Amino acid sequence: MNIITGLINGMITSATPILLAALGGSLTYYAGIFNIAMEGMMLSGAFFGMLGSYYFHSWPMGILFAILGAILMALIFILFAVVLKMDEFITGIGLNLFSVGVTTYMLRQIFKVKGAFASPEIVPIPKIDIPWIKDIPVVGEIISGQNLIVYIALLATIVVSYLVFKTRFGLRLRAAGYNRTSLDTSGVSANRIRVWSLILCGVLCGLAGSFLSLGYVTLFSEGMSAGRGWISLAAVILVSGNPTGIALISLLFGFTDGLGLFMQRSLPSQFTSMVPYVATLVALFVYSVRLKKKQKI
Amino acid sequence: MTDIIEMSRIFKIFPPSLVALDDVSVAFSKGEIHAIVGENGAGKSTLMKILYGMQPADSGEILYNGKKVKFSDPGEAIQAGIGMVHQEIMLVPQYTVWENVVLGYEPVKFGIHLDAKKARELVKQKIEEFSFNLNPDAKVEDISVAARQKVEILKLLFRNVSVLIMDEPTSVLTPQEIPQLFGELKRLRDNGHTILFISHHLEEVLELSDRITVLRKGKKVGTIEAVEATKAGLAQMMVGREVIFESIRKDQSAGEVLFETIGLNYTDPDKRPRLKDVNIQVRAGEIVGVAGVEGNGQLEMVNVIMGLIEPSSGSIKAVGEDITRKPILEKRKRVAFVPQDRGNMGASVAANITENVIMTHHRLDKRFTSWAGRILDFKQASSFTDEVRKKFDVQMSSGEAVFKSLSGGNQQKVILGRELLLEAPFILLDQPTRGLDVGSIEYVHQQIIDMRAQMRGILMISADLEELFRLSDRIVVMHKGKVVANLATDNTNVTEVGYLMLEGAAYEA
Repeated sequence: MNIITGLINGMITSATPILLAALGGSLTYYAGIFNIAMEGMMLSGAFFGMLGSYYFHSWPMGILFAILGAILMALIFILFAVVLKMDEFITGIGLNLFSVGVTTYMLRQIFKVKGAFASPEIVPIPKIDIPWIKDIPVVGEIISGQNLIVYIALLATIVVSYLVFKTRFGLRLRAAGYNRTSLDTSGVSANRIRVWSLILCGVLCGLAGSFLSLGYVTLFSEGMSAGRGWISLAAVILVSGNPTGIALISLLFGFTDGLGLFMQRSLPSQFTSMVPYVATLVALFVYSVRLKKKQKI
Repeated sequence: MTDIIEMSRIFKIFPPSLVALDDVSVAFSKGEIHAIVGENGAGKSTLMKILYGMQPADSGEILYNGKKVKFSDPGEAIQAGIGMVHQEIMLVPQYTVWENVVLGYEPVKFGIHLDAKKARELVKQKIEEFSFNLNPDAKVEDISVAARQKVEILKLLFRNVSVLIMDEPTSVLTPQEIPQLFGELKRLRDNGHTILFISHHLEEVLELSDRITVLRKGKKVGTIEAVEATKAGLAQMMVGREVIFESIRKDQSAGEVLFETIGLNYTDPDKRPRLKDVNIQVRAGEIVGVAGVEGNGQLEMVNVIMGLIEPSSGSIKAVGEDITRKPILEKRKRVAFVPQDRGNMGASVAANITENVIMTHHRLDKRFTSWAGRILDFKQASSFTDEVRKKFDVQMSSGEAVFKSLSGGNQQKVILGRELLLEAPFILLDQPTRGLDVGSIEYVHQQIIDMRAQMRGILMISADLEELFRLSDRIVVMHKGKVVANLATDNTNVTEVGYLMLEGAAYEA
């Protein structure tokens, strides 16, 4: 029993940051932006989240800073890709590299450490015990006692789904992606919709980042997003942006991540930590083969 | 009638030196259909774009309902009650009709929630109000082009516009769909809407409009009452010279058979037969016209000839050789081809003019390449572009300009120039003058006639009967994938061909 609940909890923990970032990516995907900057936004969020929590000794400030840090990256993306009409792919690559550089630099300048910074003064985001439910055996251990961000991620899935499919903003968002001239000639600026989708993506990636440095662990280490932004991109593309699909895919990746940890008992960790990335490749392969078949018909 | 819009002394110059509008003043009355006609590049679209706020005028002013206005974007024009339906349809194909209509103007609940029920209901009401025969729940990608155009109009009516600008609305429609559109536009006019109608097609202009304004080279030639206008008179105003409408062929005896299809059959992936035993022969020095209501196999025949789809059975011979399954380059040595879809098949619109001009030539003609075809010779290419420009009278700034910067007529001239200079003995033309103005049409026709004089064989598919009768030696009629008649043009008439197109059989006298 313990192994299974452990595995499930591991899956949820690993899935959360991927899910949040992918939901952000979903919004920009529908807006027709080729946004690969989730990685950079998430990393920036993780750093600033840690910074906020450390200086203010408060996790809400940590979350706020994480969101602001990620939005800062989103604003840079907006400046180059939307305002100056640079290539989105190049902007994304640049931003991801910039994020690694700037967080590492600031870590070394502010804290005079290399590699990672941990301190008892960083206040982690708390876990939430749900009364009644926590006392139910097994189920209680899974549903209750998760980190606050896990519940936020769950809520975000529902909110993003609602936003995309049931609101005025959603109708315009998808129109911006499907046919932006149509939206422009309808009297709504497609660029404005794109800007909003990027800012919301920043918010969600910021939450993902805060979970990395204040939830999963309570420290910041250089490049700690470790490719999760890329995996979230794969998830978005795999299900063509659909938020529910993203939730399922994220859980799948979370599962393989947990599986990797589990397998460390018998295999070297260098191999087991490859599992989620291999899973991404396999998923992309399966997807493109399926797509090709569909196109043939 | 009172003037709803008065545009006075409008100037527009595109740097460095193209004067698009030169002191144009025109007034539109409330509740009229006002056609704006002119050759390609006469300034019709520019004038309407200025009115609609898509482009600023360099000088001049616009009075709308007596007040001076200047829209800085289409959104403002729509707010004020002026809407434009563009030539290319701008809808979201993945959305339903009602979603497209309400986009940008959506009814909401609680500030953000899209009130789908109310939106659908409102759209349904509008559809009924104007009896538009549309299903609000149909996806736009599933409906016909004519229906999409209706959605565009509906979208503007939903925003309560009183002035509708239509930019060549019939160019995307099939001949049968046009009367319905005209009926709808007339009904809108009778409801008090003002309709500004850009067109090339003189017949349509005369049929539909109340008044007609003619532009030529950025200047206004005049505004006349439609009842007083004649086709020849309008054409003369447009081009500033007489346009010939009679047959322009000279007597000439045809040579050997250059091209033939033998028992061509094609069944599409949905198991529908599209071509049934098609046999067509084209001789040297002969123009064979293909008549038929669109969708009766013409497009499939073109695609089979060019190797874009494979026939189920039958073969194609050109210059004595079977080319049915030959690679495209082999086909292109024998077949010059002007497709109907300029933007997708005829050219690469994002490439520059020179690159478009040398396509195919760069593979067939050694002088464009060195190092065994690996290096392009751009000097040769640009002098060849110059040749095309001179021979085919293309109005363009330079060969470096992107292809899509050319007007429709000039795009067609570039494609025609490229194909005719291929010196392939057989020429396949698919709607060679669709969407062109009178002057360009005349020019293209003359080129086709010249090719005939050079003893090339020409197969021309056209929806324009006038064009077919003007050029063809013989007319074959296609109906439901079959060739139902093969007639000498001099021994037939429009009535007979029209009847065959519709019924697929000759009427019994």
